[in-house]
This record gives sequence, C-alpha cells and structure tokens, in this order.
Amino acid sequence: MALKRNVGLLEGLKYRGGGPMLAWLLHRISGLGILVFVGLHILAAFLTQQFGSDAGIFINIIYESWAFQIFIFFCVLFHAINGLRIIILDLWPALLEYQREAIWLEWFVFIPIFGLAVFVIFSGSLGG
Amino acid sequence: MQVTLKIFRYDPEKDKKPHYDAFKMEAEPTDRVLDLLEKAKGYQDGTISFRRSCAHGVCGSDAMRINGMNRLACKTLVQDLGVNKITVEPILGLPILKDLIVDMEPFFDNYRAVTPYFINDEPAPAKERLQSPEDRERFDDTTKCILCGACTTSCPSFWANDQYLGPSAIVNAHRFIFDSRDKGAAERLAVLNDLFGVYRCHTIFNCTLACPREIQITQAIGEVKKAIATGKLD
Repeated sequence: MALKRNVGLLEGLKYRGGGPMLAWLLHRISGLGILVFVGLHILAAFLTQQFGSDAGIFINIIYESWAFQIFIFFCVLFHAINGLRIIILDLWPALLEYQREAIWLEWFVFIPIFGLAVFVIFSGSLGG
Repeated sequence: MQVTLKIFRYDPEKDKKPHYDAFKMEAEPTDRVLDLLEKAKGYQDGTISFRRSCAHGVCGSDAMRINGMNRLACKTLVQDLGVNKITVEPILGLPILKDLIVDMEPFFDNYRAVTPYFINDEPAPAKERLQSPEDRERFDDTTKCILCGACTTSCPSFWANDQYLGPSAIVNAHRFIFDSRDKGAAERLAVLNDLFGVYRCHTIFNCTLACPREIQITQAIGEVKKAIATGKLD
C-alpha cells in the first residue's frame, strides 16, 4: 500500500527553501504573535473592567514587559514590511523577477528600525 | 572522492515505516546524483527503486529531494552540492509507492483541470495560425515546463492540500492563456479563480527556486492573478 501523502510540520520545515521561505514562515509566526498580543490586550481589559480582577493586571504585566515588547515589535514591524513587499509584488508581477533583491531590501529596512527600537526599549527598561 | 549516498527506502510489501539506507562509493565531482543512484542500484542493492528516463533534464522523471531541496537527479552534479554526504528522498505531498517513486496521479489530475491544450473553434486558415514574434515571446518562459513536479511538490500550499492546483498546472495554464491564438482563456481563468486556484499561492518562491528549467513560476502565477483581477490579458 502506498505511503500517505501527509507532510508533517517538521518535514515541511526541513525543506531548504532559503530566504523567501524563511520570510513566509516569519510572516505566519508574526501574524500569530500579533493575534496573541491583541487577544491578551482584550482579555486584560475585559477582566479588569468587568470583574476588577487581578488577572487583568497580571496579563498587563506580561505584555508590558520589555521581552514581550521586543517580541511584539518584531512581529508588527516584520509583518508590515513583508506584507508591503508581497502587496507590491502582487500588484506589479513584472517585479517578481527581482524577488531576491526585494527580500534583501526588506531586511535592509527592517534591521536598522528594529535595532533602534530594541535599543530604545532596553534603555527605557534599564533607566526605569 | 568518497561519498555517502543516503537513500529513503520504503517497500510497501515489507516495511511498515520508511527508513534510510546509506551507500558508500567512489565518485567524481562531475558525477550526477543519478549516476550515484545507478551505481548503488547496479552494484550494491538492486532493489532500490527510482524513476529515470532520458537522464538529460528533458523528460522530468527523476525529480527528487536532494539534500533537502527538489532537483532533477540528472542535472545535479556532486560538486554542486558541496558536501560528500548526499541524502535523496522522494518529493513531498504525493503518496509514496516505493522508495523514491511517488504516485503522480494527483499532480496530473490538477494538470488536466486547466485544459492544457490549444482551444480555438474558429475555422483553421489554409496554412497556419500566424503569430507575431512579440505575441510568441509573451508566453515563451512557460513553454519550457517538463512536468517534473519539482515546483508543485516544493509548495507548502500543496503540501497542506493537494486539491490546490499547484504551480505546474498554473504555469501550463499560463502557456495557453497568454497565447494570442488560443480562445480558452476565460474557461481556464474561471478554473484558476476557484477556491483551490491561484489565490492559494502565497508567493513563497519555493517553486521558482526548485524549477530545473528556471521558469519564473511565481511571476507567471502573478500574471494570472492580475489577469483574473483586471479581466485583461496584457
């Protein structure tokens, strides 16, 4: 009997697609990260306002921590810049010929902005 | 140089689970992976199963995952891989029949769905249907497809669901949609505008990188998406 066609997550991740596949994976992960952030925000506000619960304050402490702030900034910034790349390539398919350059340009824009943001968040957290 | 060829093995009559067998052999840097497979089958284990036909990158029979990426075994040189440990596995997303042989039928079902042949019910002219060099150039890139399946089986959207037509079927639809002599574009665009049509493409580019004929597949898919959105074939 033939072996089923199912492709597991690990098997899929082992495929060597290179930079474009990494960008696609990070786009998915950052999308989920944004969903978690927004979900926590709504949950915290709901618990605090409706029940005056300490659980809301606890959730606030989690997503206001510097580590979570860096993670969520990574998610939002990467999702936005990568999304912009995809939109531009979708609207002008002729530019797809330069997709490698588009990914380099994306990282070229992302890294300095993200680096600056990490520096500001760190400085803020260390300075109290 | 000494190389180790690690081959994915699965015999439906003996094995419950697939496993890997390693074969050590002498190889030249200019040997192709197909040559190594032939050596392993010819001199070490005659039960190794894989497809091959022309062995010159034309028939598209020997698409497989070589060191984690889809390639044609007959077009991949040992020196191009840069390592002396080579892992060969079947392409992903299709049922495995034996060792490196997969059932290509779901792939060809998707291919047939886009009516990949010339459609024109108008009476044929006495000699031929003329076409300008510019009109011919419009779809030149997508005429190069050899239906090896390397693109479709490198696509995570196809891994998730084999009802997605896949890059190869879209490339072959593109070849006729943008042919000025063909009249079946509307019919094909309707198929491609479906739930499992072009919009399952998330511009991951695995297909473009995997294509042994270097077809700009994602660009072709982008052009089809644009034709559907605008209703124009420019």
